[in-house]
Amino acid sequence: MAANYWDSTQAIYWTFTKAELAELRNQIQENNQQIHTKFPLPDRRLMNIYMQQNLIKLGRRLTARQQALATAQIYIKRFYLRVEMRRTNPFLIMATAVYLACKMEEAPSHIRLVLNEAARQFPEMGVSDMSRIGECEFALISTLSSRLIVHHPYRSLNELAPLFGLSNEEQTFAHNVINDSYNTDLSLLYPPHVIAITAIFLALVIRPAGQPSGLQNYASSSSHASSPLPSPGAHQISPPSGGGPSGAAVSAASAQQALSGGMAGFKAAGPKLGKLVDWLAESKVDMAAIVDATQELVSLYELWEQQYNERTCKEAITKFMAGMKP
Amino acid sequence: MGPPSAATGKNAAAVQPAAAGAVKRTAKQAFEEDPSTPPLVKMTSAPYAPQRHINDHYDIVGFISSGTYGRVYKAVSKRPTTTSQPTQQTAIIKHPTTGKPIEAFAIKKFKPDKEGELQYTGISQSAIREMALCTELSHPALIHLVEIILESKCIFMVFEYAEHDLLQIIHHHSLLNRTPIPASTLRSCTHQLLSGLLYLHRNWVIHRDLKPANIMVTSSGAIKIGDLGLARLFHKPLHALFSGDKVVVTIWYRAPELLLGSRHYTPAIDLWAVGCIFAEMLSLRPIFKGEEAKQDSKKAVPFQRNQMGKIGEILGLPTKSQWPLLPAMPEASNLQSVALHNPAVNRAAGLEKWYRNIVASNNYATASASANAPSTRGPPPDSALDLLKQLLTYDPLKRISAEQALQHKYFVGESGQEKVGWNCFEGLESKYPARKVSTETNEIGTGSLPGTKRSGLPDDGLRSGVGGVGGKR
Repeated sequence: MAANYWDSTQAIYWTFTKAELAELRNQIQENNQQIHTKFPLPDRRLMNIYMQQNLIKLGRRLTARQQALATAQIYIKRFYLRVEMRRTNPFLIMATAVYLACKMEEAPSHIRLVLNEAARQFPEMGVSDMSRIGECEFALISTLSSRLIVHHPYRSLNELAPLFGLSNEEQTFAHNVINDSYNTDLSLLYPPHVIAITAIFLALVIRPAGQPSGLQNYASSSSHASSPLPSPGAHQISPPSGGGPSGAAVSAASAQQALSGGMAGFKAAGPKLGKLVDWLAESKVDMAAIVDATQELVSLYELWEQQYNERTCKEAITKFMAGMKP
Repeated sequence: MGPPSAATGKNAAAVQPAAAGAVKRTAKQAFEEDPSTPPLVKMTSAPYAPQRHINDHYDIVGFISSGTYGRVYKAVSKRPTTTSQPTQQTAIIKHPTTGKPIEAFAIKKFKPDKEGELQYTGISQSAIREMALCTELSHPALIHLVEIILESKCIFMVFEYAEHDLLQIIHHHSLLNRTPIPASTLRSCTHQLLSGLLYLHRNWVIHRDLKPANIMVTSSGAIKIGDLGLARLFHKPLHALFSGDKVVVTIWYRAPELLLGSRHYTPAIDLWAVGCIFAEMLSLRPIFKGEEAKQDSKKAVPFQRNQMGKIGEILGLPTKSQWPLLPAMPEASNLQSVALHNPAVNRAAGLEKWYRNIVASNNYATASASANAPSTRGPPPDSALDLLKQLLTYDPLKRISAEQALQHKYFVGESGQEKVGWNCFEGLESKYPARKVSTETNEIGTGSLPGTKRSGLPDDGLRSGVGGVGGKR
């Protein structure tokens, strides 16, 4: 398990094909068609971004560790694969997921502290009783079938970074890409090392090391380093020269183009990338998965830049919460 | 300490679920207590409803033990009744490693932390750990978790049932004319224990509470490590291990680096505990039976002078030459005071002397008398002493690992080819008494017992010779 991802409950029970994911979600939708029509929600990834940003804010209040927040995000994603979101109180689910994840990551916060800080962060939660978090914890664990140990890509990143001679800057960048990957389905689709390699690839393609403007960018993003999760990747992934809102899309397109055009061209792009390409060719890593993961991330950044609006997401939630009240 | 299970003899063993009749109902009632508890969540929506109900699937046979966490019950699969629908009939549950049907279960019932009125107060760290780790892990020498049911504010962890535990077996031998545990049983138990431990360590799990009461033995002689309530992952922890749980491992089995306040301890602490257990199986009493210094305030963890002294009485106090990093231990300065309180540490005879005395007093059959069954009747080979020395090595960096221990001469022999059987009872003529399972009303207590405070339970004063999954001392 913990040593071997392939024997883990994550690999066995919580990794799906895209078709399986779609089927699970269709099933939920079919069972809840009426409220789906009545309470439309923004794109799932936008909702994920909204939740992630709020988890970060709650995490700061609790001085929770980043890995615990990542674990909480996984719990939430898994939970909503089995439960219709419109029938829940997402703020309560977020608070409970953080509470449980902090315990699982061996850095617990007291339930009263979690409740108080969550109530401050989410006035819409409407919960003032500790037992509601305790109760929701039962529901969460039960729904997740007690499969609570999560394998994150961060460990693979830390192991692979020295292998490819990643600079601190590149490693931080890859780390941020992994943070952003929790807003996609990638963690439900692929093993953690695939996501880590994809993040390294993006770090090397989009941000060639040693560019002064890149360093500047890093300096500005590292001012957030003390916070559990850095600010949204949309800003960090902007290429050093890009500047404008189209920056991510432009470099993302180049990454995509490069991938579809085959890896060979990258060998000329720099020694680190060359090494990565050679390594990928020799290893048994699922290349199709890496190509797909890259595309998922690229399209996440496009969507993030163009459509993310915190208020829209929040209003969609408060609307169904008000509408579903018995 | 209360009487071990062996003292109750055959009566306890003879209790059968069918024969228990009326009293059985009270055990069940205690198990199901507070039927007025509302369903899991009073939300209108389906997702919050519990997915399985404990009473739809299991019949409670009786009560096994209790501890700080709650209680352990023995159960069997629910027999189909005429009224139950065919879909509710329990399918035969098979063991994943043996493929055999599981006939009996030990159900560990956790209670909410607070006494009094039942309400959700958040699940304890210990229960969360045990739930998550048991769900993830699977090995023949680990107790198998069948399922977890969360229902009515209680957590039910359903394990395979094991008829014995090492504490019970040790007691059995210490009572019946003090016969030694057969050398073959000792060897198989230790080998199985180490293979389970190797699996845990390879998966970055430190058990942190190995002791005879936590090591189950099935009726077919298979060792099952239980109680992962203190176990945790140690791969790149977010915090120093020390900061999470200030006190780990029951005092008699606690490794010297823990006694000396080590912040970043390693799996080696489990190997020290294995050494203590190995010694206890030889001598039938704890080798280092110290008294625990209680925490006076919440903040300060006291130095365990008495326990360190008990170790020192046999091994002598550790020295810098044995253990180069000893001076770096936070409590190293306290070592001097150990000798002041317990001068015997200056006259320690050493582990070899201890071992020879034990083996001599154990009255093993002599070579000629045991010619018929030398492996079960005769004394252990000298390689047992060497393994014990390597397990009870002061320096955790020099202490033998689970992997190395499994390759030790004691197991693989001079040829390196010997095998150790997976049935620790192989070749034995007599059977051990079955676990005591109580169905009597007065031992179950009233329905309102919180089952969380040690002092609040009438049966908690008993040494957990009655054992059970995670029976606490």
